[in-house]
Amino acid sequence: MPQQDPPRPVRIAVDIGGTFTDLQVLDARHGEVRAWKTPTTPEDPSDGLLTGVREAAERFGFALSDVGLLLHGTTIATNAVLERRLARGALVTTQGFEDVLEITRHVRRDVYGLAPDPFPCLIPRDRRLGVRERLRADGSVEVPLDLGTLLQRLDALQPEAIAISLLHAYANPAHERALRAAILAAHPGLPVSLSSDISPEIREYERSSTTVLNALLVPVVRDYLRRLAARLGRDGFAPRIFLVQSNGGVCSLETAAEQPARLLLSGPSGGALAASRLAGELAQPNLVAVDMGGTSYDVSVVQEGRVALVTQGEVDGLPVRLPMVEMRTIGAGGGSIAAVEAGGRLVVGPRSAGARPGPVAYGRGGTEPTVTDANLALGRLDPDFFLGGAMQLDMGAAHAALAALGARLGLDGAAAAEGMLALTNAALAAAVRLSLFEKGLHPRDFALLSFGGAGGLHAVAVAEEMGMEQVILPREPGTLSAYGILFSDLVQDIARSRLFTLDEAALPGLAALIAELRAEAAARLARDGVAEADRALSVAADMRYHGQAFELLVPWGDVLAPDATALAYLAARFHATHRQRFSYAAEEEAVEIVTLRVTATGRLPRPAPASPAKADRPARKGARKIFAGGAWVEAGVWDREALGAADVLHGPAIIEEAFATHVLPQGWTARLGAAGAIIARKDAAA
Amino acid sequence: MTTPETKLGPIDIEVIRNALTAAAAEMDVTVWRTSRSTIVRELLDYSTAVFDAEGWNLAQSARIPGHLNSMSAALRTLLSDHVRAEDWGPDDVVITNDPYCGGQHLPDIIAFRPVFHEGARIAYVGTLCHHIDVGGLVAGSYPSKATEIFQEGLRIPPVKLIEKGVRNEAVWAIIRQNIRKPDLLLGDLQSQIASLEVGRQALARLALRFGAAAMLEAGRRILDMSEAAMRAALAEMPDGTYDFTDRLDDDGIDLGREIRLHVRLTIAGDTALVDLSGCSPQVQGPTNATLASSNAAVMFALMSAALGGGRGGGLAMNAGCYRPITVVAPEGLVVNARAPAPVAHRVAVTHRLLNAMYGALHQAVPERIPAAYYGCSYVTTFQTVRADARRDVLVEIEIGGSGATPHKDGVSAYASGMHNNSNIPVEMIEAQMPLTIMRYALLPGTGGDGTWRGGLGLVREWRIDSARCFFTANMDRFFSQPYGLAGGLPASTGRLELLRDGKATPIPPKSDNVPLVQGDIVRLSTSGGGGFGAPGERDPALAARDRRMGYLA
Repeated sequence: MPQQDPPRPVRIAVDIGGTFTDLQVLDARHGEVRAWKTPTTPEDPSDGLLTGVREAAERFGFALSDVGLLLHGTTIATNAVLERRLARGALVTTQGFEDVLEITRHVRRDVYGLAPDPFPCLIPRDRRLGVRERLRADGSVEVPLDLGTLLQRLDALQPEAIAISLLHAYANPAHERALRAAILAAHPGLPVSLSSDISPEIREYERSSTTVLNALLVPVVRDYLRRLAARLGRDGFAPRIFLVQSNGGVCSLETAAEQPARLLLSGPSGGALAASRLAGELAQPNLVAVDMGGTSYDVSVVQEGRVALVTQGEVDGLPVRLPMVEMRTIGAGGGSIAAVEAGGRLVVGPRSAGARPGPVAYGRGGTEPTVTDANLALGRLDPDFFLGGAMQLDMGAAHAALAALGARLGLDGAAAAEGMLALTNAALAAAVRLSLFEKGLHPRDFALLSFGGAGGLHAVAVAEEMGMEQVILPREPGTLSAYGILFSDLVQDIARSRLFTLDEAALPGLAALIAELRAEAAARLARDGVAEADRALSVAADMRYHGQAFELLVPWGDVLAPDATALAYLAARFHATHRQRFSYAAEEEAVEIVTLRVTATGRLPRPAPASPAKADRPARKGARKIFAGGAWVEAGVWDREALGAADVLHGPAIIEEAFATHVLPQGWTARLGAAGAIIARKDAAA
Repeated sequence: MTTPETKLGPIDIEVIRNALTAAAAEMDVTVWRTSRSTIVRELLDYSTAVFDAEGWNLAQSARIPGHLNSMSAALRTLLSDHVRAEDWGPDDVVITNDPYCGGQHLPDIIAFRPVFHEGARIAYVGTLCHHIDVGGLVAGSYPSKATEIFQEGLRIPPVKLIEKGVRNEAVWAIIRQNIRKPDLLLGDLQSQIASLEVGRQALARLALRFGAAAMLEAGRRILDMSEAAMRAALAEMPDGTYDFTDRLDDDGIDLGREIRLHVRLTIAGDTALVDLSGCSPQVQGPTNATLASSNAAVMFALMSAALGGGRGGGLAMNAGCYRPITVVAPEGLVVNARAPAPVAHRVAVTHRLLNAMYGALHQAVPERIPAAYYGCSYVTTFQTVRADARRDVLVEIEIGGSGATPHKDGVSAYASGMHNNSNIPVEMIEAQMPLTIMRYALLPGTGGDGTWRGGLGLVREWRIDSARCFFTANMDRFFSQPYGLAGGLPASTGRLELLRDGKATPIPPKSDNVPLVQGDIVRLSTSGGGGFGAPGERDPALAARDRRMGYLA
C-alpha cells in the first residue's frame, strides 16, 4: 500500500481549539514531524489557520506550494450550536407529530431541581410544519403525500434552511425526496436536509434532532468553507483539504458542506486517533486515553488497538445520532476551583476559572485557588518554567489563596493543596474506572495514556489509585490531537434501519441492503477521488435480542452477500459481545438486526515518520522540593527533550517540557520508549 | 458503639464520601449491565445505595425519587423487626418485597448485604429493582381493582436468599413457582446480587486503605455534615405552621369519592414536623401507601426545597438530611396503610402527597416552590391479540406539564416529581406491535394561566391494528386539577377516550382489561402544570409569544 505523496511532500494537520490552533507538520522529504502553535482567531478561524501555516513554513523550511494535504479539525460546528449562531430554519414533518422535537424523550437529569429549564429545541413551534402523509414501519405507504398549503406556509416563514423528517423515512425516503423536489422548485438553492440522508435510522426524536442540527449548520459551515477556499491559491498554497469528523476519520469539503453535523463532536477524534496509533507503535493494544486540560478530563478506551465508537452522542443536550468516539467527560482540569461548601465539605470543580481569569497564579484577577495553584504551591510546577518560561506564575498569590482555603478547613495551605490534589485524583480515577467497568473491562489489563496540558501532573497518581501499573506519556502531549489527525483516513459511515430477524429467510433482504449500502459507499469514495486500491469497506450491525430496547454494535467484516455461515458468525459475535458487556447471552432467543452500517475507508498516503532527535544538553536539570504525603521531599528535575534511551528516572521526579510537566512519585520508574513516549512503571513490591 | 481514635481530616472524609458515591455508581452500572428486563434497562426503574453499619443511607445512585430515601427505612425496619444483625453474616443476602416489612409495593424487590472488615460490620449495600411481574391478578402485578394485597402478587417476607454464600434453593423455588416471567425476574434478581458483590468489593478496598474504625467514623461525620447543612437550610425558612390539602380522584373501586392528602408542616428553628394525621383513612382499592413510600415523598419535598431549586450543590443527599425531620402518620390512613390493604398504586399517593407538601412549603418559602405539576404516572397497558392469537404487550408511562415557578414558565411535557421515565419512540412501537400512533403532540391550553404559565400536557393516540386488544389504565387527576399558586390558575385535568365509529366516549381512568377491536383509537390527554402569579400581570410579550406558538387554547 505505501504510496508516495504527490509532488507536494508536506502534510499538515491543524486542530483549532478555543485558545490555540495546533499544527503538526510532516515533511515526507525527511520524515520529520514538527509541532507548532498559534493563537486561535475566533471571528474567522481560517485566519489563524493560515497564519499558523505561514509561521510553520518559515520556521521549518518549506514553501506553501509544498503543502499537498491539509487535514483540518475544527470546532466551528460545535461552537455555532453552543452559541446558537445558527440559520433560521423550518422543520417539515408528519402531521400530528410536529411537537416530537419539543417533547423529547422525557427523562430529567436534575432529579431534585425545582426550576427546570426546557430541553433545548432549535426550531420553535411556529416553524414546525406538518404535512399529510403516513408511512408504515416496512416502508409501505398508508397515506400518500399531500402537500396541501405547505409551500405557501413556507413562503410566509422565509426560512434560511429546511429540515425534513417524516415518520419511518429510514424505511422509505420517497416522501422526503418528493418534498425536497417541491421545495427546491419553489426556492432553488435553499439548503434542505433529509432525515433519510442524514440519519436514516429508527427513533424519530433522535433522527429529527440530528437532521435539524444538520440543516441549521449548512449555511454556517458553507460560509466558513467558502472563506477557507478563498484563501487557497495565494503563494501557491493549494493543498487538498479534508475535515475531521466525529467518527475518527476525515471527509471531503463537499461532504462537510452537505452533512456538517458530521463535524459536531469531532474534538475528541484527534486524541483518540493518536491513541490508537500509539497503541500500535508501543505494542500496547489496551489503553485508557485521558486528556486533561484546563476545564475538562476526557476518557476514551482503546481495546485491541481500536478506539471504542458509539452510534450517538450529544451536543448541548441535543442528541446527534452519528458515529463518534466514545468519551466520558468530567469537569476536572487545571482550572478547577476549590471551595468549601455547606457543612464544611471541600469540593474541587466542576466550576472552572478557565483561561480568564484563570488560576490565581496567572495574576489575571483570579482569587479562588485552582488545581494549577495547588500544583504550583506544592513544587510540582516551576513558576519560572510555565509554558517553557513564556509565562511567569505568581507563587506568593497561590500560597495566599491556599492558606485562606485551608483556614476554613482547619488546615495549613500545603495540606489543603495536597487535599485538593487527592480529591481531584480520586475523581479522575473514578471516571476511568467507570469507563472500563461499564464495558466489563478491568484496569489491570490496561495502561494509562495521558496527555493534555495538565495530564502529566496527575497521571501516575491516578494509575496508582486504580492499581494500573503502566503509564504512557506521549511526545508533545499538548498537541497530540493534531498528531492523531496527521495520520487519519477518509471515513464515510452509511447506515440504514430495517428490522430483520436473524435467520436464513432474512438472507436475500440483507444481501440487497448490503449491496445498496456498499454501492453508495463506493460512490462516495469515488466522488472524493479515492482510487479503488485504497478503499476498504466493512459492514456492522446494530443487534439485540427480541424485546430488548437497545442495540449492540457488532462488526461483521467485509461482507458482500452473506450466506448461512456468515449469519452464524454474526450471531456468535453478537452473543459473545453481549456476554462480555452484560454478563449473559440468551442463545435460545431470537436475535434481531435493527440497523445495518457500512464504513467506507479511503486510505490516504501515509509516509512513515522518522524518530525524533534528542536535544543536545544534559537530561537532568537539577532538583527541587515537592510536597508529597504530608512532607517536603527532594525530587530530581529532568528535561524531556534531552532524555535518551540510557536515562532511568526514579521517583520522586519531575519531568519538564515546553507545554507540560509530569510528576513521577516515589515507587515508580520511567524510561524513554518507542515513538518518543515516556513509559512509567510501578516498581515491583520490595 | 464506642468510637476508636482516628486521625481523619476533612480531606479524608471527602475522599471517602466520593468513594462511597462511586461505589453506588458502580453498583448501578452492574444492575444495568446484567439485568434482563426492559423495565430495568429501558425505564431504568431501579436504585442502588450504600448504608452505614446501622442502616442509614450514606450514598445512592440518583434515579427514581420514589426509591431514593426509602431504602434506608426498609433496611432499618428489617434490622429492628425481622433480622438480628448478629445473625446476618457477610455472605448472607436478605431480600423482601413486602410493603408491610418496609417495602413499597410488591414489584419492588429490595436486596441487602452487610460488609465486614476484619470482623467488624462497617456497612450495608442495597439494591432495589422494579420487577416485571410478581404474580397476582394481572400481568405486571399492577391491578387497579385489587382490594387486598394477596391479589397483588407474591409477598416475600424478609428472608435469606443466599446464606453463607449458598443459595437458599427453597426460596428460589417458591418465587419461580408464583410468577409469570421467572427467567426475567430471576435474571434481574441475579443482577441485584452481582451488584451487591460489586458494592462490597468497593467498600472492602476503601476499608483496606482507611481501616474499619475510620470507615465508621467517616460515615458518622458524613451524616453529621449533611444534617448540619439540612438544619441550616431549615433554619433559613420562617418558623410557622403551614397547612395544605390536595386530593386524589378516588380509589378505583368507590368511584368519585375523593381521597384527601392533608399536610400540616411546622417549621421550628432548624427542624421540620410533618403531620399527616389529616389524610383520609385507607381505602378499599390499591390507592394506598405504606409509611416507607410516604416518607420518601416527604423527604424528597424537603430536600428539593432545601436545595432551593438549584441553589448550589452543597447538600450531600443522605440519611443525615432526615434527622431534623419528624413525620407523624397514624396507621390506618391512606399514607400509612394497615395490612392487608392493597398498595399497587402507591405512586399516586406519593405524587399527591408531594403536591400537598409543596403547597405547604410555598407558604414558607414562596420564592422557591413551583405550582403543581401534573401529579400522575399515566400508565397504559395494551395487550394486543392478533387473528392468529399471538399476543404482545406494550406498557407506556406518559407525563404532563411541570408547574410554573415564581420566576419562569413551567416546562411542557416534563417528567416531574416522584417518577422519572423515558417515553417509547413511535417508530419502535409500530415496528414491533400491531398498533399505530396517530398523534403525539403538546396540548394547547392545558397549562394553568398566570404571571408565569404552567407547562403543557400532551396528547397521544393509539390505533388498534390487531383483531382484538385489552387495555388497562391506572391514572388520576381526572377530577382534581393541579393547583396554581399566588393567584395562578389551575391546570386542566386529564382525559381518556375511546374513539369508535367517529364517536368519542370516556374510558374510566382506573380500568382493567377494557376490550377493544381493530380500528379503535384510545386518546390520552394529560394535565399541564399550574400557573404562578396573577394572570393579569403576565408580560404581554410572553403572552404574544404563547399565541404565536399556539400554546393557548
